[in-house]
Amino acid sequence: MTRYIVRRLLFSIPVFVALTFATFALMRAIPGGPFDFAGERGLPASIVQNMERKYHLDEPIWKQYGRWLWDLVAHADLGPSLRQRGRSVNDIVGESFPISIQLGLMALALALLIGIPAGTLAALKQNSIVDYSSTFMAIVGVSIPNMVLGPLLIWIFALGLNWLPVSLWGAERPFLLGFLPKPTLKFFSHAVLPVFTLGTGLSASIARLTRASLLQVIREDYIRTARAKGLGEWIVIIRHALKNSLIPVVTILGPMFAAIVTGTFVVEQIFGIPGMGKHFVTSIGNRDYPLIVGVTLIYAVLLVIANLMVDMTYAWLDPRVRYQ
Amino acid sequence: MLTHNRIWTILTCGVIVSLLLTACAAAPEVVQVEKEVPVERVVVQTVEIEKEKVVVVTPTPAPVKEIILDGIFGTEPPTFDPNISEDTTSVWSVEQIFLGLTDYDDDTLEVVPELATRWDISEDGTVYTFHMRDDAVWVRLHPDGTIEELGPVTAHDVEYSAKRTLNPLTASPYAYVIYEIKGAEEFNTCDPKALSDEEFQALEDGVGVKALDDYTVQFTLNHAASYFPSIASLWVVRPVPQAVIEQYGERWTEPGLIATNGPYMVKEWAHQDHAVFVKNPKWYGWTEFPEAGNVEIINLPIVTEASTTMAMYEAGEIDYLGDPGWGPPLPDMDRIRADPLLSKEFYIAPRLCTYYYGFSQQNPPFKDNVLLRKAFCAAIDRQTLIDTVTKGEQRPAHTFACPGIFGNAADDETIAPYLLDYEEGLKLAKEWVAEAGYPEGEGLDIVLMHNVSEAHAIIAQAIQAMWKEAFPKVKVTIETQEWKVYLKTLAPESPDEDKPNVFRIGWCADYLDSNNWLNMVFNSKSHENWGRFLNEDFDKLVEEAAKEQDPAKRLELYNQAEKLLVDQEMGMCPIYYYTRVTMDKPYLTRIVSPISMDHVWKWKIDWEAKKAAKGIR
Repeated sequence: MTRYIVRRLLFSIPVFVALTFATFALMRAIPGGPFDFAGERGLPASIVQNMERKYHLDEPIWKQYGRWLWDLVAHADLGPSLRQRGRSVNDIVGESFPISIQLGLMALALALLIGIPAGTLAALKQNSIVDYSSTFMAIVGVSIPNMVLGPLLIWIFALGLNWLPVSLWGAERPFLLGFLPKPTLKFFSHAVLPVFTLGTGLSASIARLTRASLLQVIREDYIRTARAKGLGEWIVIIRHALKNSLIPVVTILGPMFAAIVTGTFVVEQIFGIPGMGKHFVTSIGNRDYPLIVGVTLIYAVLLVIANLMVDMTYAWLDPRVRYQ
Repeated sequence: MLTHNRIWTILTCGVIVSLLLTACAAAPEVVQVEKEVPVERVVVQTVEIEKEKVVVVTPTPAPVKEIILDGIFGTEPPTFDPNISEDTTSVWSVEQIFLGLTDYDDDTLEVVPELATRWDISEDGTVYTFHMRDDAVWVRLHPDGTIEELGPVTAHDVEYSAKRTLNPLTASPYAYVIYEIKGAEEFNTCDPKALSDEEFQALEDGVGVKALDDYTVQFTLNHAASYFPSIASLWVVRPVPQAVIEQYGERWTEPGLIATNGPYMVKEWAHQDHAVFVKNPKWYGWTEFPEAGNVEIINLPIVTEASTTMAMYEAGEIDYLGDPGWGPPLPDMDRIRADPLLSKEFYIAPRLCTYYYGFSQQNPPFKDNVLLRKAFCAAIDRQTLIDTVTKGEQRPAHTFACPGIFGNAADDETIAPYLLDYEEGLKLAKEWVAEAGYPEGEGLDIVLMHNVSEAHAIIAQAIQAMWKEAFPKVKVTIETQEWKVYLKTLAPESPDEDKPNVFRIGWCADYLDSNNWLNMVFNSKSHENWGRFLNEDFDKLVEEAAKEQDPAKRLELYNQAEKLLVDQEMGMCPIYYYTRVTMDKPYLTRIVSPISMDHVWKWKIDWEAKKAAKGIR
């Protein structure tokens, strides 16, 4: 088992190198550089030259990449931000990643909490009113994009009812273990709307997947066997059927986890949350090369880890799966 | 293996469950939340500072309550370092915390003294000697609220600042704005790697800025430039604390390290999240200026979405919409105007920028065809565009430099009158387009390009429709590009065949003189001259105006230059002069700066009214 994990992780290193180099090279291939222009105007060539020299952008790309890789391996340094002068990508990720983790984990938890029971109920009461309403809610949840749901919730709960603040994130530093905030009222009051916005869409897809998968599993022979042996219905469903039917759910949870925890641009934008998602988008517009490569690498690492954890979970969910 | 699996499961479940619990715990408590959102807490924290202030310095009685201004940063400020600031957010912040040699009067837009109480100009107009006041001090606010004094602000700090901006190793994006200073361009454009230390030092010493004594600084210029006092207000030459910068390097702007000298100090700057400025009690202006306001704390959370800030404003979480955040969003404008309450809080202030369309003058059909350029520019109904599309009560433009800039010709209605009178313009446009060889626009296939933006798109579509109506046989295609790609396409070194025939662009003031407009943008040598308007007569006019010392003659020269640029040659097509749409809560009294450099120290808040307004909500 340990050998398997180590091997998987070692195999992923070339992936990271290839990925970062591709990002590195692709970004530089896009027309326009980080310093050609300031705001609404262009900059003289001499000024651009000074700035490029300062950040070594005047060197050949292999040399730039080598420098970046060396700093990363030797000093765990992702390089300087080109847009926020005097700050490093480590600083930027360090302050925004914990926020995205907080939001992401809560949204994911909400999604599972709503999605799995809803999907299970729908499957057990197939073609009943419960099923139809759950399916209807799921379709609504999937179809309403966050950029509609977010402002809608703000309009109802912040402007209309005046129960919750419109935006911003209420977590106070320092965080426990680097990401757990103090569970203050302020934190939760700011978190309710964004978590709900982000979580409902996810819960809808989880519910649909759970329903489909469970419907298939409860028709399997071993479920009939379990019932025939006289096991209680709830034990049959939860211990035998649900556990097995969660395999597809777990499969999508891996990439979903990596994507949600590294931040979501739209929700962060609407609620003014200082998370990491916006850097995936704005750093490209700014041509902030080190920041783009940095956040891409973090996403990739998380994706690899999440998928590894998914594979580990298979072994527990499905007794036939073994890793050597 | 099984046990390993178990541990994993338990761990994962544990995390999930704990999160679920916290998430659940949130729900029932929610109701009472909004009553005690940020404001109160900050008061408690900062009261200590006020006590400190009282103990350490202020002879004046301390106010009963700290007056808080709630605003918004529309983006994370790229920097608070004056020498490398380039964007409105940074510049707005710098204005609050650093003093300039000179400043602008909010009403008249004239240059007024700030750190420099007066200045002498040599006979030939090339040497400016600024005499500085001696009671400005460097202060550093520590996290515990104590204020540390770091000595007086001196002429040496000004010299250091100008040289730091120009040092190629600083890589300041704005250094070129002070190339008027002797030796500045040579120093800024040198390659430090190719030079010995002595050569580099010689170039630095050759820069024409020198502290004659602690409170006198002298600038030597390449040529007479009567607009130099205007340049002396710019952030790139504001005194910066040499010792602090040398001690902490690029991180010197972090709270707790940064030393400032302006009306406010940096108390907090949680990057991407919020910043807090607090009153600097050691700033001389609080007691000296009768117009000083009462804002003691400026809260600036960072919100990057304009519609969210509008919602925050309506929920009473912020006091105004405007710099350094967002104005009210365009889609909300009709609702705001119709709303009995909101319409009273909404007003429009000028902003020193011009929105214009450029013609690529290296490509047919606009190449060497002034009549065609004039026809297309005259066939735009500016007033209708403003009333139905931009909706910000902008002023139709018929010149380049906007009102408020020294030398602007916006009120001279003899310049391109057909741009203001649409009926007349349309008639002429139809004649001109025929005379240019394209009757009714026959055979014309025009590409109109703008950078990706909702606002630019609707303007372009409206203008496309106007051209179609004026010249029925013309074909106008709208293309868009992402901002950086767009400017790369327009850049002089890019191939001419890739360039659009017509493109949208804008220009905003750095300093309030036409030199910053006509000479800096449309001189043949300018890197901002996107359409390649190359005209020797124009260059001569604006270069002469730069050196001329008699204001009346300068006005005349700029007037001629505007006439040449727009009316005679149609080198660019002015659309409108910008405005700034803002909203203020009734309890806030403020003056909006047309150049994004608000003097918050003049703003006043009726604290009782603000408290009452918050209480109701």
